[in-house]
Amino acid sequence: MIEFDRVSIALGDFLLDEVSLSIKKEDYYCIMGPSGAGKTIVLEAIAGLLVPDDGRILYNGVDVRGIPPEKRRIGLVYQDYSLFPHMNVQKNIAFGMRMRHLPDHEITSRVRQLMRQFGIEHIASRAPLTLSGGEQQRVAIARALAIEPELLLLDEPLSALDPVTREQFIDELRTIHRDQGLTIVHVTHDRRDAVSLGTRMAMIIDGRLVQEDRVGTIFSSPHGEQVARFIGYENILNGTVTSCDGGVCLVDIGGMREVAVVAGAKRGARVALCIRADNITVFKTDGKETSARNLFSGPIIRKSVSGSLATITVNIGVEITALVTSKSAEELDLDIGVTVGISFKATSVHLIHKPTPV
Amino acid sequence: MAGTGKRRWLEITGNTGRPDWCLISFAIIGGMLVLLPLLALINITLGQLADIPYLITVATQKQVVDCILLTFGAGLLAVIILLVFGTPLSYVLARTESRLNQVVESLIDLPLVLPHTVAGLMVYILFMQRGLIGAPLKGMGIVFEDAFPGIVVAMLFVAMPFYINSVREGFQKVPVHYENVARTLGATRFQAFIFIVLPSSVRHIFNGCILAWGRAISEFAAVIMIAYYPMVISTLIFYRFTTGGIKESSAVAFVMIVACFVVFLALRSVTRYLGRYDDRV
Repeated sequence: MIEFDRVSIALGDFLLDEVSLSIKKEDYYCIMGPSGAGKTIVLEAIAGLLVPDDGRILYNGVDVRGIPPEKRRIGLVYQDYSLFPHMNVQKNIAFGMRMRHLPDHEITSRVRQLMRQFGIEHIASRAPLTLSGGEQQRVAIARALAIEPELLLLDEPLSALDPVTREQFIDELRTIHRDQGLTIVHVTHDRRDAVSLGTRMAMIIDGRLVQEDRVGTIFSSPHGEQVARFIGYENILNGTVTSCDGGVCLVDIGGMREVAVVAGAKRGARVALCIRADNITVFKTDGKETSARNLFSGPIIRKSVSGSLATITVNIGVEITALVTSKSAEELDLDIGVTVGISFKATSVHLIHKPTPV
Repeated sequence: MAGTGKRRWLEITGNTGRPDWCLISFAIIGGMLVLLPLLALINITLGQLADIPYLITVATQKQVVDCILLTFGAGLLAVIILLVFGTPLSYVLARTESRLNQVVESLIDLPLVLPHTVAGLMVYILFMQRGLIGAPLKGMGIVFEDAFPGIVVAMLFVAMPFYINSVREGFQKVPVHYENVARTLGATRFQAFIFIVLPSSVRHIFNGCILAWGRAISEFAAVIMIAYYPMVISTLIFYRFTTGGIKESSAVAFVMIVACFVVFLALRSVTRYLGRYDDRV
């Protein structure tokens, strides 16, 4: 539906650098990346508010350069909602239809239907600035949907909401996407949004598209350490492959320790090993060293408990972070200074090849 | 208001219940300054109220009434010209960033730093009958020297920065996101300005008008350089002061004070809720 063909946009010191991506019809497409990576610029380029300095943006196969935003039928919701302060809720929602000169009775009935759909009928004549964040968000989405867009662009729509409203909203967005078959592009820096809503996603870091794929694929096999770190791999260890044999490679991670991983690398290759904290098992060693494969031991150097989960960091020569339940942390006396063993399966290690130094 | 950290007058106590000596001492020091206009106002008022029949005679003199109307009218025209030409300029200045902006902005601010006789002289040389603009317009029958148009251009020149700066600030406060959203909803660039930016900055536009109008009607030096006649109120007061003395001139001045007070009060009360979209603020 939307295709970026090596799009470059320079804005002040920032450069969106030859980004190519493709958003397909009925995708729930998440654009993820750290703050300042250029995510909003991508949205504004799709909407036609920014014109590429270089490259092409194709809409259903047609280059849309020169088509102004008002002719594109693309809904846009900013993080700050941007409701027009001098219009009440009804007028905000009706604005797009007024600009498109729809007949009055049609506008009235569609506004009423949207307010019913979003449960905001009771605030129809309120001024936007008197509304709560969740209410403003609903009005902003209703206003964008009022023009029956083919594509809805959302710029960090959930980041300013409290946890309860946020969960509700995730459900609502899922419903809009599923029931209306709407294509949605959702910019976020929060991996939870991508996991719970996205079908496909792009990772943008420093103005470059680093990876584009199905959400599940990116989360299970990130390209590059930056992506891995961003999507929540707590442990990223650098090492060199020392041997490969029988479907298993051994990787030297320094400190005389070797990690076994599923084969897929050549001997001597420099790799990064990504292991999620919740894939690491922690057990008591009673002070004894262990030598089995992917079984290490060391003292706990950090511990933080949040709710039912505890994050502990064990120094096994390199630092490894593991996630355990608070209950087992208590039962096993996992405190700072205590030596424990950790283990993980070779299959839970995601291997990233690093460029060989020239 | 709760939560803003602001306190009401006479409630100048810290959170601990003890007097907030910082605010109190500042209020005393600052209060000295307020005494100046207050004393001046009381002084002139008491003087005038001592001879009310004379005051009424002066207030009903045709020359005085005519001068006040002329001054208010010329000021209003200057403001209307600013609305038409100054509003688009302010928008351009608010929405662009270039070195040219700085040049334009300092040109507009020029009357703020120039002595008004200098400003008046510049206007005069430009608009006099042999002037760069005055000469061709004279051919079309428009004369500026000692004429109403001359008063208006002098007022326009000195009032310009007050209007432009206020309105530009108003436009800058309207997030570009509003316009972006309006455009995706189907508004053209012009429509986004008219339906979104303008109404969102009504308050600043209105304030700019009041400031500019106030500046325009109070102008003396710049106006007399190009048009001693017809007399604006400042010219009349100066004339009465030099020919008739304090009593005559202060009576006219007092009439002007009352007239201005009434007009400003009326404008403020009419537009009290103008452009306020959040009653919590």
